[in-house]
Amino acid sequence: MRTFKLYAALVGAGLRGEAQYRGNLLVMLVAGMAYQGIGLAFVWVVVDRFGAIGGWTLGEVFFLYALRLTAHGLWVVPFSQLNQLDLVVREGEFDRYLVRPLNPLVQVLTRRVGLMQAGDLVGGLLLLAYATTIVDVDWSPGAVGFLLLAVVGGALVEVAVQLGLSGLTFRLLSTRMLRIQVDSVFGTFGNYPLKIFPSVARFLFTIVLPMAFVAYFPASVLLDRTGELAVPSWFAYGSPLVGAALFTLAYLFWSRQTSHYTSSGH
Amino acid sequence: MSRPTPKAVLEAYGAIARVNAGSALAYRADYVVGILGLLVQVFLLRMVWEAVYADRGSVDGVDLSTTIAYATLATVQYWLSNPWNFSVIPQRVREGKIAIDLSRPVSFLGQVVAGQVGTTAALAPFALVAVPFTVLVGGAQPPPSVGAGLAYVVSLGLAYVITILLSSLVGLSTFWTLEVGGFFMIYRMVSQFLAGALVPLWFMPDWLRTVAEVLPFQAATYTPLAVYLGRLAGPDLAAALIVQAGWIVLLWLVLRLVWSRALHRVVVQGG
Repeated sequence: MRTFKLYAALVGAGLRGEAQYRGNLLVMLVAGMAYQGIGLAFVWVVVDRFGAIGGWTLGEVFFLYALRLTAHGLWVVPFSQLNQLDLVVREGEFDRYLVRPLNPLVQVLTRRVGLMQAGDLVGGLLLLAYATTIVDVDWSPGAVGFLLLAVVGGALVEVAVQLGLSGLTFRLLSTRMLRIQVDSVFGTFGNYPLKIFPSVARFLFTIVLPMAFVAYFPASVLLDRTGELAVPSWFAYGSPLVGAALFTLAYLFWSRQTSHYTSSGH
Repeated sequence: MSRPTPKAVLEAYGAIARVNAGSALAYRADYVVGILGLLVQVFLLRMVWEAVYADRGSVDGVDLSTTIAYATLATVQYWLSNPWNFSVIPQRVREGKIAIDLSRPVSFLGQVVAGQVGTTAALAPFALVAVPFTVLVGGAQPPPSVGAGLAYVVSLGLAYVITILLSSLVGLSTFWTLEVGGFFMIYRMVSQFLAGALVPLWFMPDWLRTVAEVLPFQAATYTPLAVYLGRLAGPDLAAALIVQAGWIVLLWLVLRLVWSRALHRVVVQGG
């Protein structure tokens, strides 16, 4: 509870700082949307011209894309500062976080507010709101509930992978490029029905890099397409639980890794 | 002070290009990772095109292998000519080094162009290493004729000049607003799409294709690729090359105009 209060206070301070530059705030939001929007523009032009991809209609692909982007936005806004972790560790900034009476991870995350990342979340929510109206889904309370759980679960899957890799920074000192590449794999392949990829890639994106749990499996459930999955359908229904489990593991791993931190000495 | 001789000017630009190539090479580990990203992108494009073509032989008169060849070449070509730091100007202004640049006896725009050519030269070997792998992951085909191959070289040269002019023009916006990160991102994404770097113009809906055709970006990426694949030949080819040359003249004039305005807005930080 105390941690949460401090977190809110630190984020508030960051926001007030950024609000000093309102023009930039808007530009950064649009920039974040543009970065994610180019992939959407590609899918849209291609599927519009060809009619479908792997049997999925344009509306269904939009829905999948929206689910992925919203889950992505949901983790990347609060966790944007993981991007700077290499710097924090190498410059010895982490020293400060260890002596202050607050969880070091919370202190890393509240260094600055991720403005461009907020564009991902806003763009994702807008697209999701639109996509839910064009897909053929009966939005019963159960379906809406699963959608909400799926978005949170998807965010947890992605953040678990990123947090786990970040933990390695304390030993390797430099994991940023690796994390960016992994993130871009999620951001490119994760927006397509997994069935269009060869079976090796499908296996990798389910077991090694649990990308399928972010959006493809939950979208298959909601679009009533679990029949075409290469895995049993309870796999897809359990996606939100996978997110929660992976995040717990990743956090434990990160916490253990922090003990390997050695200050840069100054 | 007398004006420097043309030879001295060229030597100065050469030195600037070498310095920029050197600093670009300092990040060679990033390029190696960047090549991996390039391969991933090419692979994804191939999978997507294979999935949408399914059993169709050709769409709009273009078969699957031509489309994959386009996607592969476009990705490599775009990567080589549009590095993430596509303009050196923001860094020079932010660090106050613009003061030194302006006091040099050669034009600032010339220095910017030389710097960008240097960066491309440093990247080129990485692109050459990447080509066989991208062809393996994606696909390629030779140009349909020797003439198309030669015309491609000419068109690619013109396209590169257009890219440099556009990058410099966008870079000059730093003189109006120091915080250019967001603006550069928007420019990069919109221009990349309208350049045909992801989807060839022939698959775009009519209205979007019209928008792309009246803008200069397609002349920097799509045109040389369409020439290479033999989609532009005969009178169409001549027209496309003239359009490219026209953009070079126009963009050069705009760049001169914007630069003369920018010069009055120089802010030297920490100087």
